[in-house]
Amino acid sequence: MRRGLATLRGLGITLAVVLLNLPCSRPATAQPRMLTDETGRRVNVPDHPQRLVSLAPSITETLYALGLGDRLVGDTDYCDFPPEAKLKPHVGAVLNPSLEKIVALKPDLVLGIAEANRRETADQLERLNVPLYGLTAHSLDETLRLITDLGHVLDDETRAQALVASLQRRIDAVEQRVAGQPRPKVLFVTWYRPLITAGPHTFVSDVIQRAGGVSISDDLHGDWPRMSLEEVLVRDPDVILFPSDKSLSPGLKEFAAMPGWKDLRAVKDHRMYFVSEALIHPSPRLVDALEEVARILHPVAKEGR
Amino acid sequence: MTVAATRRNVVTVVLVLSGVLVVVGVGALAIGGVHVALGDVWRSLAGAGPRTDATVIVRDIRLPRILLAALVGAALAVAGTALQALLRNPLADPYVLGISSGAALGDIAALWIGGRVAAASPLAAFVGALATMTWVYLLGRRRGRLASTSLLLAGVITASFLSAVILFVLTMLSTRDVRGAAFWLMGDLSVVTGVQLKLLAPAIILGTAALYAFSKDLNVLLLGEEEAAHLGVSVTRVHTVVYILASLLTGLAVSVSGAIGYLGLLVPHLGRMLVGNDHRTLLPAAALGGAIVLVISDTLARTIIAPSELPVGAVTAVAGAPVFIYLLRRTAG
Repeated sequence: MRRGLATLRGLGITLAVVLLNLPCSRPATAQPRMLTDETGRRVNVPDHPQRLVSLAPSITETLYALGLGDRLVGDTDYCDFPPEAKLKPHVGAVLNPSLEKIVALKPDLVLGIAEANRRETADQLERLNVPLYGLTAHSLDETLRLITDLGHVLDDETRAQALVASLQRRIDAVEQRVAGQPRPKVLFVTWYRPLITAGPHTFVSDVIQRAGGVSISDDLHGDWPRMSLEEVLVRDPDVILFPSDKSLSPGLKEFAAMPGWKDLRAVKDHRMYFVSEALIHPSPRLVDALEEVARILHPVAKEGR
Repeated sequence: MTVAATRRNVVTVVLVLSGVLVVVGVGALAIGGVHVALGDVWRSLAGAGPRTDATVIVRDIRLPRILLAALVGAALAVAGTALQALLRNPLADPYVLGISSGAALGDIAALWIGGRVAAASPLAAFVGALATMTWVYLLGRRRGRLASTSLLLAGVITASFLSAVILFVLTMLSTRDVRGAAFWLMGDLSVVTGVQLKLLAPAIILGTAALYAFSKDLNVLLLGEEEAAHLGVSVTRVHTVVYILASLLTGLAVSVSGAIGYLGLLVPHLGRMLVGNDHRTLLPAAALGGAIVLVISDTLARTIIAPSELPVGAVTAVAGAPVFIYLLRRTAG
């Protein structure tokens, strides 16, 4: 009797597997894998996911850098790099993507990032049985790990390894170049009305550190803390960095003329720079930003060729 | 009360509160995230000695900010007092008629469209405030007169509509802009240019003085519109002028500092407890009281979690709500 049941159950499972696989045009290996994503959620990820939806510009950029742009079936309104990403169907904004649009694109895997997307989006997609793999990164090293992880999830480990290796080489080159140089004090201005800067455990802080500088706001709390102007004056940064941004870009002169600012060493020495907005995203372009910041902080350092 | 007695009252109130404001202001100059010795504060103000971190902090960072706080606090408290009399509603504050929402929308629209934030933003905010003021005025008129009930309804509905539009625009901004805009919406006094102060100071002082000229009329309005008319007050004219002046004061304040809450609601009540209902003493008391309260609040905002800062609107709200509840229970009991 027991054996009969077991056989029956076995038959049922076989049948189910056969039935599930029969009408399916996926590769024969299509087996869902139960993975734990970077945010600790359990996700049923298909093998070789082919229809990807990205919920953040950084993920979109990373997918293209991995040469997987053709698997991307949808991204957000803010995904503008590389330019091809703008042509993909959009699912709305990063904070409030349209669930309908996501579902309509029939993705077999949605990729989100904890720093940009909301938990609610992940929960809602889970209820709709759309698997979402959540990523997270706060530093250059974590970004490389994220790329490796993404390669694993997308079954494209070779390409991910190659990309990570080349990024690592560039990071090493920068670090060699700035090693032993005096470390300038850096203020990163996220917003200046009021003054908002970058806290510790952010890409900004990590990139400044590894580009051979010291962020003057590393002792503040939170990722994007407000900072008092008098404190900036006392800490007197050598260099001020702004994310290149259309709403601030014509304002450098006005900024320098604001009360208190004109006495800063960085303003007197004209060492205020716009840096690529890639500085605040965990994408391969973060390494471009690292090289850019290193050139700003150490313009005369010998090129390590 | 005789005219002479009232005048004596006004002079006493102005002298005492001005004294308090000066003491508070000097205290605020000496207090901050960075320690500046009292001697340095004095030397900075006297303009003597070389330009050092201490003199820059006191003269270029703290002083303009304290002056801005005093001006904005005075403007909000005076506007709140006038609107509470105009609308005959103790819950009225400078924002009840939607002026701040209009200013906020102007500011955020400028962000959205992009452009030169530092210069355009206060301007865009002020344009937003003026547009809202005009709109509420037109909407609030009934048969050519500005009745307080219809004005209040027009203002409240406009405020809630504009808030909805603001939420919509916020969803269109990038995450970083939203963070910046949110700080602005909570009120912020940390950025002020000398030009702004030079424009703001005479405008707010003139506006307050002009409202003061109507203080007797405001007293009569409290009796009710019909009674006021019987007493020879041209209700429509007073309504219109008071509405415009209060809205301009609010618009000016909000344009440079965002919507700092509770102050314009609370200070008039505190003023009434202190000096009574006569607007001839109440208005100056509210102006100076508003200045004192906001200078203190902003000093707390910039020191409590130094080297970081709190939004001053959060300080006024956290401190204001309990005080309001206390006042409510006191008057109810």
